[in-house]
Amino acid sequence: MSYLDLPISKIHELLVNDKITYQDLIKEALEKAHKYQPTLNLFETIIDNPSFNGLDKSNPLFGIPYVLKDNFSTKGILTTGSSNILKDYVPVYDATVVEKLRNSGAILVGKTALDELALGGTGTNGHNGPVHNPYNLDRQSGGSSGGSVVAVSSGIVPFAIGSDTGDSTRKPAAFNGVVGFKPTWGLISRYGLFPFATSLDHVGIFTRNVLDCAYVFENLAGYDSKDMSSANTIKTQYSKNLDNSLKGKKIGIIKEINDSMSNSLVKDNMSGVISLIKNQGCEVKEFNVDERLLRAILPVYLVISCSEATSNDACLDGIRYGIREEGETYIKSIINTRTKGFSELVKRRFVIGSYCLKAENQEKLFIRAQKVRRLIVDTFNKIFEECDCVIFPASGDVAPLIKGASDDEKLSSKYLIGENHLAIANFGGFPSITIPSGFINEMPIGINITGKCFDDQKVLDIASGIENTLGLKDLVKEVK
Amino acid sequence: MEFVTTIGIEIHVELNTKTKMFSGGPNVYGSLPNTNVNPIDMAFPGIMPVVNKKAVEYALKACKALNMSIDETLIFDRKNYFYPDLPKGYQITQQYHPIGSNGYVEINVDGVEKKIGIERLHMEEDTAKQLHYPDYTLINYNRCGVPLCEIVSKPDIHSGKEASLYVEALRSILLYLGISDCKMEEGSMRCDVNVSIAPKGSSKLGTKTEIKNLNSIANVMKAIDFEVERQKQLILTGGVVEQETRRFDEATKQTVLMRKKTGAVDYKYFTEPNIMPITLDHNWVNDIINNLPELPKQRKERYINKLGLSEYDASLLINNKELCEYFENVSSKSNNPKQSANWIIGNVSSILNKENISLSSLKFTSDDLSNLIIMVDKQEISTKQAKEIFDIMNNTGKKPSDIAKESNMVQISDDSSIKQWVKEVLESNPNAIEQYKAGKTNIMGFLVGQVIKKSLGKANPGLVSKIVKEELDK
Repeated sequence: MSYLDLPISKIHELLVNDKITYQDLIKEALEKAHKYQPTLNLFETIIDNPSFNGLDKSNPLFGIPYVLKDNFSTKGILTTGSSNILKDYVPVYDATVVEKLRNSGAILVGKTALDELALGGTGTNGHNGPVHNPYNLDRQSGGSSGGSVVAVSSGIVPFAIGSDTGDSTRKPAAFNGVVGFKPTWGLISRYGLFPFATSLDHVGIFTRNVLDCAYVFENLAGYDSKDMSSANTIKTQYSKNLDNSLKGKKIGIIKEINDSMSNSLVKDNMSGVISLIKNQGCEVKEFNVDERLLRAILPVYLVISCSEATSNDACLDGIRYGIREEGETYIKSIINTRTKGFSELVKRRFVIGSYCLKAENQEKLFIRAQKVRRLIVDTFNKIFEECDCVIFPASGDVAPLIKGASDDEKLSSKYLIGENHLAIANFGGFPSITIPSGFINEMPIGINITGKCFDDQKVLDIASGIENTLGLKDLVKEVK
Repeated sequence: MEFVTTIGIEIHVELNTKTKMFSGGPNVYGSLPNTNVNPIDMAFPGIMPVVNKKAVEYALKACKALNMSIDETLIFDRKNYFYPDLPKGYQITQQYHPIGSNGYVEINVDGVEKKIGIERLHMEEDTAKQLHYPDYTLINYNRCGVPLCEIVSKPDIHSGKEASLYVEALRSILLYLGISDCKMEEGSMRCDVNVSIAPKGSSKLGTKTEIKNLNSIANVMKAIDFEVERQKQLILTGGVVEQETRRFDEATKQTVLMRKKTGAVDYKYFTEPNIMPITLDHNWVNDIINNLPELPKQRKERYINKLGLSEYDASLLINNKELCEYFENVSSKSNNPKQSANWIIGNVSSILNKENISLSSLKFTSDDLSNLIIMVDKQEISTKQAKEIFDIMNNTGKKPSDIAKESNMVQISDDSSIKQWVKEVLESNPNAIEQYKAGKTNIMGFLVGQVIKKSLGKANPGLVSKIVKEELDK
């Protein structure tokens, strides 16, 4: 009997009624983890003796095993960022997210692989090689939260924590038939998350249904005095408040984004979803957005994220932790360490970032990118004045093949609009969730729902309504 | 050829807050290496900065005391560069929006008041300390993240003397604000001086050199004087001043080349994305800047105008904050500022200098000294006796009243006893009375001395002379 395939609410029921114990759940999770690891390559570390700190049995996360992307600091547990430079790094402190989940009774059973330091979107660029998609082992998990999403879609754990700087939670969710959510910027503390691009970084949540997502979210949300960017908001019971009625909800769709989807079956799926939710009483309104703005998303994203990343990752110099390559002088030692410690993709992005920040380039690249970012955010805030949320396909196609994956396809230039639009939510800090919407040739695809800042409840409500309408939830792909 | 010297000074002051600028790590000097650190100071991946409110308060105090405009919106920037003493690979500073701008301090150059402009004051974090050995370098991260204020003067300074007066004035203000220890020898106050010279009348400034490693105010003056002379000689012998960083060598009293400046470093500044702009509460700011402690200039005026100290004594006390606080205690307790100043500037200072100790190592307390002064004022002991008691106090730490009792050193102010001694002295010195009557009034001193001798030094001299005079004039 497999319990971890079930929704969190069901597992919780079994736990409180003493039908199962948390030890049973740990055992099952670890068995699956070890069994799937050779095939899926999703773990950096499997935690064979996990610690349990459950106090409040009424918490839905009490006794629930979960996994964490390996860019969250865990005290005493190897945390690599899937980078060679940190391959032996054992942190001395816990991320706030880790503390909160421990206090809620959740049990950390593994640290998952990512694209090195979260700079990448394929799940292929970790130092241990690609993470595989359980629906088709030749295909990408998506990234950068590749290991976390696969742990949920393959049924190892019912929820996982990722991060999301451009779409690193929400696109892999679509490729794996699961829910991927990043709340409003500032609602979940990022203390202890290895920063990629501070102004765009979010903590992300993977689950197999929207209600589970609300459980995890309400356990993580809240002001943290260690993170000055965290928002001081009232504690909200997102799960209790969850209202899946779609009647009267105003939904926006963006013509230029829908038109840009590369696979026509994705467009068909989207049309299908629209007509179904219309039947549920949704008002659907189409908006037009200047294509020049949409085409600017990728360059704006690259300039800002690479610039911030080059500074954020400057601490990785081999002096205090991580691998160290010796050199005649400290600067030579740092150069040798960083040359050996990072992959080509990461180094390329640092060079781009450094170039954009140079005094002579900053105005025309970095500052200009900030201005365009502002234009894009303003455009969507205007749209949100006329609707509750916008929805779009999460990706133009199913998960790409691992073979031939461009190693720099975080946001792709191949389809300039249709593969980059999820970054709009990072630009604006908007709450944004991807849920499964169907299959193309047995590969899952998803749609994304994005709303205005602090409308997280509304976004979860609409996601829950659509989930209910489509009947696509609790999908698990067993790996043979 | 006559030259004009132009000097600009950048001062880094460590604030004496309990914790660091962006972390809860303890801010203590002199601890074992790498013990005052936490993950934030060491820049472990994932850490985030949190602004120290106390440090902002201290910076605001400094801005107000230095007559600066205050920016009530705090914005921090990253200064990016790789260096082993900089664990994050960037320093959080305020490049574009310093909290304070456009202020001044007043100095007195040979009796002439002069305002030295201050360009800006900004907050930032200190770096780690490197200890270089022949084959390796050790890093002490204790200093990492200590709150700093950087204070940049305008190029209003024109001599080594003015420079030292400026640094002295600034140091004094910061000390009286209580926001920094300002110990140049320990590095809690650090000066970088930019010096250039240009022919008199020239509208262009000359090429400047920067002098680092100045560990005392005296050295600021010495280094500048040397550097100005060096640049003069260089120009007069057909040479060219090159833009370079030099350090002051204590042993030879010369500035020595550290490195040539090869183009400006691009620090790739950008706004610190972890700290949103902070709008300070206007009332909070006002509350801080309207309740500054007494500044040295105000205190000096009070000493002269209200306490009646001489300009010389007032300056002497003000310039030594520890001594000045000691004076505050003694004078308020004894209610005799003038005598307090005399004792402190004279007797106390001489002990400190002779024994090379600090006030806190004295065996007696400021209260003991106050009591001694009060005993003299109440005429319980004579001034002469007070000096003897002071010496005993200093050697033993005993209370002045106990010493007086033990040594039977009580001043006799009792009329009848004194009258009896006066009578006896006059009876045995008829010649003296004759001489007095003949107009040789200074003989009185002799008679008074005889009476005091008779009392074994215990008679109150004032009372004795009064009674002697009365008797003689009868």
